[in-house]
Amino acid sequence: MTVTNSGVPGALSMDVVERKDNRMVLSMGPQHPSTHGVLQVITEIEGEVVTHAEPEIGYLHTGIEKSAENLFWTQASTVIERMDYLSPLSNALCYIMAVEKLLGVEKQIPQRAQQVRVLLCELSRLASHCVWLGTGGIDLGAISTFFYAFDLREKILDLNELAGGARMHPNYLRIGGLRDDLPAGFLDRLDALIKMYPGRMREMRNLLQMNPILQDRMIDVGILSPDDAIAWAITGPALRASGIAYDVRKAFPYSGYENYDFEVPTRGEGDAYARFLVRLDEMDQSMRIIEQVRKNLVDGPVVADDTKFSPPPKETIAVSMEALIHHFKYVSESFRVPPGDVYAAVEGPRGELGYYVVSNGDNRPWRVRTRPASLYNLQVLKKIAVGEMIADMVVMIGSLDPVFGEVDR
Amino acid sequence: MPSSQTPPVGSTAIDPTAVRPAIDDARIIRTTPAALRDCLRSLKAEGFAMLSDIGGVDYLERDPRFDVVYHLLKFAAATGSAERVRVLCGVPGENPTVPSVCDMWPSANWAEREVYDLFGVTFSGHPDLRRIQMPDDWTGHPLRKDYPLRGPALERTPRPSFALKSNVAAGTPASGKTAAALQRQIAAARGEQPAKDPAK
Repeated sequence: MTVTNSGVPGALSMDVVERKDNRMVLSMGPQHPSTHGVLQVITEIEGEVVTHAEPEIGYLHTGIEKSAENLFWTQASTVIERMDYLSPLSNALCYIMAVEKLLGVEKQIPQRAQQVRVLLCELSRLASHCVWLGTGGIDLGAISTFFYAFDLREKILDLNELAGGARMHPNYLRIGGLRDDLPAGFLDRLDALIKMYPGRMREMRNLLQMNPILQDRMIDVGILSPDDAIAWAITGPALRASGIAYDVRKAFPYSGYENYDFEVPTRGEGDAYARFLVRLDEMDQSMRIIEQVRKNLVDGPVVADDTKFSPPPKETIAVSMEALIHHFKYVSESFRVPPGDVYAAVEGPRGELGYYVVSNGDNRPWRVRTRPASLYNLQVLKKIAVGEMIADMVVMIGSLDPVFGEVDR
Repeated sequence: MPSSQTPPVGSTAIDPTAVRPAIDDARIIRTTPAALRDCLRSLKAEGFAMLSDIGGVDYLERDPRFDVVYHLLKFAAATGSAERVRVLCGVPGENPTVPSVCDMWPSANWAEREVYDLFGVTFSGHPDLRRIQMPDDWTGHPLRKDYPLRGPALERTPRPSFALKSNVAAGTPASGKTAAALQRQIAAARGEQPAKDPAK
């Protein structure tokens, strides 16, 4: 590094003067605006070509898995929502599914609750892809897309706020169903969103999809072959852009996804542009599912009628001693979950999001292990970046769409 | 060193995975570190091409203490359907070591580093076994059950009052020394006669 030929440490500038090659080590991040969070990539470049890239993560490590072990089963979903902060509902749903499997009650969840879960998870996939689209556009200099995408996202966050009271982390899903039924006015605003979506999506596609600058930057950049994608455990849009049609919603249907008619978009090229197109098509498919849920939404309860794992209805608490006791116990000491281990997975916006949950029969989880899709998707950067231009690093990070709340947890 | 704060709840040394049959759609295989690589290699030959995740679990009082859990996935290319298998590898608490599978699946690299970082399980043959989430100079492995929730540095200070009382293990002595110091500080601020330190 800074050791000169004589072996005496010297100034870095002297070292550069004496060296004959064009090789240098460049650290991107952790405060780089286009790394989508706190990612540091230590790159070795030869001229402008990357010869080695080593992503360094852990800057956002918050010990969520450890925290979850020290919270009640019911409380843990609050911190778990903070992992992938762009689609909190997918995280919550996956954890809740794991707990429901441990309890053995997944058949008791009312149909309306399952439908609303699907509805909100697809909405949060749309919202998450809007962030990817907007920030991905900014990475390449297409600033105006950001405003279009975030305007659409804002409408979805409004729906979150209406349902759960918070825009980003509504904490609306519960073990056993939902916290409340959808509030008045929710479906009207959902209808407005469904109506507005095609036009807004057409605008964004027109801005980006056939844009020659964008195509120049993305086509043949960061190519990932199908074999590599499997070996590096890539899932989600990045895997489907390499030609493998694996989608958890189709392979292991949950929450009634088998009842909806949708396609799994795939492409064969495996480059950044293919990942871009797959995500755009996925947004359309999500909207298709949302429309179907809206059309077929049934009436009925939204919480399983079993006070062993779900709170009694609020209005009964004032008049029923039983309900009051159950409510008190639910809040003050949660409930006990039979021992066992279980793995549940959902298709998050970034790929297979899984929770391996172990219970020892107590009122807190013994272990909550996340299978973070972003971690594995990001890891492949050290493979696909080699041989590319340093300027394309930004494109490749953007096309993998990592979320650092999930990578570092 | 065992902590007074964790594990917070009845740390019964049971093996949850042994007392209950599989309740999800994965096949479960148990193995030992010595047989692990052969087991995974035969599964790979069977078509389980993706090593989807590696996680760790600390059972504290069980023997073997740790489980390293491998999740594998097999695709049926045409239909988009898939199959799961889960390999549980029991690892003893004394000098826990597991052979690395980085040469078989590159995806294992960061996953093994994370298990090493958070549980202290060593992966022999790993090309770059460093901490990944915690700082490089950190001591201890945070996801072990005997690692205090707030870290060793804060373990002896009183917990904030909004913390759940039930989060503190039964029988945890109140941090008498620090609490007394706080009391004296409050008394001094109020201009009262400082309470006598019972230790003296």
